[in-house]
Amino acid sequence: MMKALAGSFVSFAGRPLAGMAPERRRALGLVVLAAVLLAFPYIHDNDGDIDSAANAMSYAVLALGLNIVVGFAGLLDLGYAAFFAIGAYYYGIFTSFQVMPLWSGFWDPFAMLGLVEKINQGGPDLVHFTLSFWLALPTAAIVAAFFGILFGAPTLRLRGDYLAIVTLGFGEIVPIVARNVDSVTNGAAGLNGIQAPKLFGQSFGVSATPYYYVGLGLVALLIFVSLRLRDSRIGRAWMAIREDETAASAMGVNLTRFKLMAFAIGAAFAGMTGVFFVAKLQTATPEMFNFAVSSMLLVMVVLGGMGSVWGVVLGAVLLQLLQTWFLPELTGWVHQLGAAIGVPALRRIDFVDSTQLIFGVILVVMMLFRRDGLIPATRKMPALSYAAQHAEVRRGGFVNLDRIPRWSPEPGNALEVRGVTVKFGGLVALNAVDLTVPAGGVVAVIGPNGSGKSTLFNVITGLVQANSGSIQFEGVELLGLAPYQVLERGVARTFQNIRLFPNLNVLENVLIGQHARLRSGPFASVLHTPGNRAEEAAAANWVMDIIGLFGNRLLPRIGQTVSGLSYANRRRVEIARALASRPKILLLDEPTAGMNPAETLELAEQIKSLHALGLTILLIEHKLDVVTRLADHVVVLDHGDRIAEGRPDEVRRNDAVLTAYLGRAARAAVMEDDHAS
Amino acid sequence: MTAVDLFLQQLINGLSLGAMYSLLALGFTLVYGIMELINFSHFNVFMVGCMIAMLTLQAMGLSGQTVILSGAPLVLTLLAGFAVSMVLCGFIGVGIERFLLRPLRNVKGPAAMITTIGVSYVLFNLVLLTLGSDSKNFPNPLPPVVFPIGGAVLRLREVLIWITAAVLMLALNYFTRYTKLGKAMRATAQDAEAARMMGVEVDRVIMISFFIGSALAGASGMIFGLYYNLAKVDMGFAAGLRAFTAAVLGGIGNVPGAMLGGVLIGLIEALSAQALGSAWSDVVIFSLLVLVLVFRPAGLLGRLAPNKS
Repeated sequence: MMKALAGSFVSFAGRPLAGMAPERRRALGLVVLAAVLLAFPYIHDNDGDIDSAANAMSYAVLALGLNIVVGFAGLLDLGYAAFFAIGAYYYGIFTSFQVMPLWSGFWDPFAMLGLVEKINQGGPDLVHFTLSFWLALPTAAIVAAFFGILFGAPTLRLRGDYLAIVTLGFGEIVPIVARNVDSVTNGAAGLNGIQAPKLFGQSFGVSATPYYYVGLGLVALLIFVSLRLRDSRIGRAWMAIREDETAASAMGVNLTRFKLMAFAIGAAFAGMTGVFFVAKLQTATPEMFNFAVSSMLLVMVVLGGMGSVWGVVLGAVLLQLLQTWFLPELTGWVHQLGAAIGVPALRRIDFVDSTQLIFGVILVVMMLFRRDGLIPATRKMPALSYAAQHAEVRRGGFVNLDRIPRWSPEPGNALEVRGVTVKFGGLVALNAVDLTVPAGGVVAVIGPNGSGKSTLFNVITGLVQANSGSIQFEGVELLGLAPYQVLERGVARTFQNIRLFPNLNVLENVLIGQHARLRSGPFASVLHTPGNRAEEAAAANWVMDIIGLFGNRLLPRIGQTVSGLSYANRRRVEIARALASRPKILLLDEPTAGMNPAETLELAEQIKSLHALGLTILLIEHKLDVVTRLADHVVVLDHGDRIAEGRPDEVRRNDAVLTAYLGRAARAAVMEDDHAS
Repeated sequence: MTAVDLFLQQLINGLSLGAMYSLLALGFTLVYGIMELINFSHFNVFMVGCMIAMLTLQAMGLSGQTVILSGAPLVLTLLAGFAVSMVLCGFIGVGIERFLLRPLRNVKGPAAMITTIGVSYVLFNLVLLTLGSDSKNFPNPLPPVVFPIGGAVLRLREVLIWITAAVLMLALNYFTRYTKLGKAMRATAQDAEAARMMGVEVDRVIMISFFIGSALAGASGMIFGLYYNLAKVDMGFAAGLRAFTAAVLGGIGNVPGAMLGGVLIGLIEALSAQALGSAWSDVVIFSLLVLVLVFRPAGLLGRLAPNKS
């Protein structure tokens, strides 16, 4: 197998193919790989090797499932084997002779469906469950997903590191239950007599080959599902959660829902594998699902690359080869060497025993030296050439606005903040603050550091709870809503300290802004239904229009991960991400902070051109020239109190404002200055 | 035994287990308080500590229950067991921190936690490969002195365990409250950056908390051996999870909280084993952990770790 694989890779990278497009080359490689894998049992007719290949398949499926939870959604699940066990025991119990209730008329319809049969072991008639393997696969996925939600619901609110230890606990509880509920699971001895799958009335029997093909089919299916999910709205939401939960929820991702979805889909993968695994072994014992399994799967995911679909499959295959082929062979070689050179000590070494030790070493070494795994999920893009990254400061606001629809807000007040008070312990961050943003207007909030400006944004967007007051947006109360619900209602924001998703590229970051405007669920995303395709295409177009606004500041960089962008460009991406959500009001928290004067002017004019299209804007800003240029109304906060409001020029001369900003003496100086001039 | 006696007996057992869990929980809490890291290697540093204590006692001529000491030789032997396992475990902890975790200090995400899982695995398998998986007879040199309390029995070893744990915890409490280094440690736990600005050598503080935490794991390993008279390679998992639950129950990052949590977990384990059977005590403890995390994540005494968002 290794030779054939190596051969395919040589031709894959070889010169004759150099002229092909990368996608064509990749497709060809896949076809060759698939052909080799399909032919493998005939090329290499060794039942033991085919069997271990089938085992590798089941670990690959498990690793793919764990990758959804750990790699995509960033939820470190150390008890993943629990779901594997649930699928396994589900199939085991419903095909073995362990649980046999008394027969009654109730079972007749099930018997007609072929799910049960009547047997007699010399007493009353009993029920023998005869669940078909093919029916068990999808139903086990559902059962395991149910348990995924059951375990996940109470724990997913926890911080990531707590989640690790709680899942570790669940992973331990499931085998304990299996060990101690003897009547259902036959305890530590395990279930026996589990039925082999049948296809067209033909039992799989003892040959490994049919299992190999089922395993191959499962791996292919789950690679397909993983890739489709990764590149969908769902996958983007998961990665947003992994990168920054707060930003994800502020951009419209329902955290609980998508975390549970990751848990449930990951569990479903494991449940199916459980069925496959015990059908193959025809036995299930609690020891098959302990922490060692969960941690081996973690090693596979870490070795291959967290979040990398192909990497994870590679990791699973490599570890399986290590265990079943390389270490026994190595042991054999060392024993022969010992015999040849007459060192008896060498003949006692058994490397197979150190498999687990090697796993531990792999975890540590990968974390220290190659955290992205063998096949990293995000490929590093080459840096832009000097010419490509050159950008001139452009004056006059956005130019290519023709593709952006105009906002036509209902006249009246868009946002009304009434008497909002926020306290952190003894500190009053906002004290009965009132603020009104008229539809289509630009209101600026200014105030010294610590005056409560960012808290105001946080309370509007649901990141901070108010102690009292009311915040209405277009007549709908926002207080009490989760951040993602606030965004759904058309309130989008940026953050003072920039909260992008650092390991995603510009395009992905901005696409996540579209999350709340898309509807595709997991099934539509995997099947690429026409609705889903139309939606994704529209989203991509819209996002490119938005990025296009920023011209060659962002366009040449759409494939770059945002952690490598300049500060000003990261600000622009964040604004683009907020705009992508089609907001009715945009909350900008110090959008020009850290920009030089020319860039500041450029951005201020761009914001003004958005306003000219009818977008309502609430702005926090320190630079008074920006405020004067943009805002038609200014609200001044100090120590949580609203101390002044009015037109920019009024506020500039307001006594209280001058005192707050400059102190009393300085105010006198300003007044004198005015007199003199 | 009457029901009251049985309860009393489980109380005694629970306090002894609690002493062990408290010492182990302190290691979790010290490291979590400063680095916000669940240190999975702590599970097996504890196991290694038990093995080291066993080998030390064996090296001093004790084997199984056959050699009984009393007076000064007993005290010296026990002190030597504690000292060797504590110091060696402390250095193992420092080594883990210095060479494996420090390079990852500023890496976001689960990298450091995964590293500690890997280290835990390595420690486990090193012991498995060198000493084997069988249950070992931990030397017990204590004379079989018992103090009957009603129908319950208080053995000398339990008194000894309580005294040892109390001394260690008082010493730690004194250290964190009144010494310069201890104050630096608490400051670092609150805000490492600010502590660094104020002249605290954060690297040194972290290293010392690893040393202290791991040394306490070594001490609790020795206590485990004295209490159960056995040492086994897979002992770290169950005890470690109980101790972690104890740390969370008391309020992770909170030193007195870990002590209190440990004692409570010990009592809960002993009493639930009495009521439901010991096979289910893991389930009881984990359920408790989930309940605490969901309903009172700050624990009983409040979480002292910084709330980094």
